[in-house]
Amino acid sequence: MTSIELWNHCENPYPFVPAEVLDAADSVRASLPSKYCDPVVAARLYDEIWEEYRLCDDIGLHIVTNEHHSGINNLWAASPVITGIVASLTHKVRILSLGTLVTVRPDPVRVATEYATIDVISKGRLDIGFVKSGATEMVSGNANPMHIREREWEAIDLIEKSLTTHDGPFSWEGKFFTHPHVNVWPRPFQSPRPDFWAATSDLPTCAELGRRGYVNTLLFGGYDRTRAAYRAYKDARAAAGLAKAGEDRFSYMAFCYVGDTDEEAMRIGQKIPWFLTVSIKSAPQFSKFQPGAIAPEMAPAAWRGGASKRPTDLSVASLIAQGQMFCGNPDTVARQIKEFRERVGGVGRIIMMTRQGLMTHAQAMKSFNLAAKEVLPQLQDLPPIDDTEQAAA
Amino acid sequence: MKPELEILRIGNGRPILLVHGIAPVSPRAPFLGPLTQHGAIVAPSHPGFGASPMPPDFETMYDLVHLWCDIIDDMPDDDITMIGFGFGGWIAAEVAVARPRKLGRTVLVDPVGIKIGGREDRDIAHFFNTRPDELLRRAWHDPKTIPPGCYGLGWQAVIDDSMTDTDIVTLARNWDSLCLYAWTPHMYNPRLKPWLRRIDVPTLVLWGESDQIVSPDYGRAYAQAIPGARFETIAAAGHHPELEQPAAFVDRVVQFMTETTKP
Repeated sequence: MTSIELWNHCENPYPFVPAEVLDAADSVRASLPSKYCDPVVAARLYDEIWEEYRLCDDIGLHIVTNEHHSGINNLWAASPVITGIVASLTHKVRILSLGTLVTVRPDPVRVATEYATIDVISKGRLDIGFVKSGATEMVSGNANPMHIREREWEAIDLIEKSLTTHDGPFSWEGKFFTHPHVNVWPRPFQSPRPDFWAATSDLPTCAELGRRGYVNTLLFGGYDRTRAAYRAYKDARAAAGLAKAGEDRFSYMAFCYVGDTDEEAMRIGQKIPWFLTVSIKSAPQFSKFQPGAIAPEMAPAAWRGGASKRPTDLSVASLIAQGQMFCGNPDTVARQIKEFRERVGGVGRIIMMTRQGLMTHAQAMKSFNLAAKEVLPQLQDLPPIDDTEQAAA
Repeated sequence: MKPELEILRIGNGRPILLVHGIAPVSPRAPFLGPLTQHGAIVAPSHPGFGASPMPPDFETMYDLVHLWCDIIDDMPDDDITMIGFGFGGWIAAEVAVARPRKLGRTVLVDPVGIKIGGREDRDIAHFFNTRPDELLRRAWHDPKTIPPGCYGLGWQAVIDDSMTDTDIVTLARNWDSLCLYAWTPHMYNPRLKPWLRRIDVPTLVLWGESDQIVSPDYGRAYAQAIPGARFETIAAAGHHPELEQPAAFVDRVVQFMTETTKP
């Protein structure tokens, strides 16, 4: 039997920059001047979201933090700082940092130290997530965008060794990072270490996550890409002779709004795709022309397409149909999540992106309450599913 | 093992080694014809550029400098004239500092590679973080003069149907490789400037008067750091004077080669 967990992912967006400024800007990340961010407004946003996190702790929704920089989509500029605050605000739920950007951070040992500290403060409630990152983050973080996948893996390996070595300093002389004297205090609360997650739909990377047993999460992958990613994970484990992974190794992040009625949910939920319609606008030099962004052999198709296209059909109905949004009354959302689980071959951790765009604090609180009290009970003790390819067909 | 390199060779006579910038020297570059009247052109593509493979353990300016020293050591003749363009000018300056025995003289054409201004002065327009149309505006005196088949900074802004898929794949590869070598510090070696004093061959620093990627004043300071170097500008040319004013470019180079050749 499987019980699905619900997680709340909020990036603390700042949707209050005038539309004419955003329309005139090349990019709403990396290069938008900070004069457009009012710190008084930002302080109110932080307070509201702390309150949402306290509610999540009371009602059993786990919490995800992340980080992006220099833009309207995200005021969590330093995930370990935010995650440390969440560790102190909460007492029961798990906390996932997804994550600090290890391809931008110069010293993975410092990252390990921050996470070990949070794990102790939270008394073992921390999960650690990794993202490859790229695009505007390479610019904001002044990180070479070439070879970042390789750099990410070395950072992860060094963080893991830093968290699990307790018998004195060790030395690391890798390709990207060197540290002659690694000795992290405090050591993590959890033994051997907090669980690791990684966000990716890149199939070779999913396979490596499978061999390592990390949680594989995807953002908006939809049915087919998500199923393919999980399949790569499972196949890699089978090929390596490893035990079959439980559904808790698979996670999926989608837009989500739970209302009293389907009509209310779809009306309010329409605010959430702001994340795609407004907050990802990026100049070509930070996106398709950034070195390493695409394999050179893919460049003719990508570059001949003209300016970066923003997604167009982002109606709630379309997003629901594509498996990229769970939205409706509690029964509807529970049914959508259960259908998603069956179509992707099993998933144990659903991450809800709810407070996004111009979603208000009160609207977010309402959705969280309904998700925890009326959706979550319907996602417990679910029967096993057949995740063979025949079942998919 | 030495990396395998694509090498363009044209003409006969005195060796002229071209160290390319953001793209390998195009066989269609209009300065090649006139320059071959004065020597044998050898134009290798850096690893990761053009058709030169990128070896897995090759990724820094340190690697490039030693490779180019190898290239010079392996050439059959001495009294080599080395001409470096833009990013290749940086490589050429580093190589000249290393004093390869067969090097006869150096021409640096709008080179990057050193830090001149203060910590809040951007000496070199950022190749990767600047809008392509802005790069195009800064790099060329008149973008309408860009010769067919040749690519300089701002090439992303002129992608059109006349470019083949092969051209685009090559440009993408070049761009990736350039970034690997020169993302940070962006386009310079903080330690190079004080060592330019070691350059012991005649050096001409040649600059496009309209270059707004790196200014002529940067070029003057560059020349002043090299013992005995001469600084000259080319009118109606930007960051790529060899492409915008090929005749004037060849005239200056040939005059310099003549003046610095022992009778």
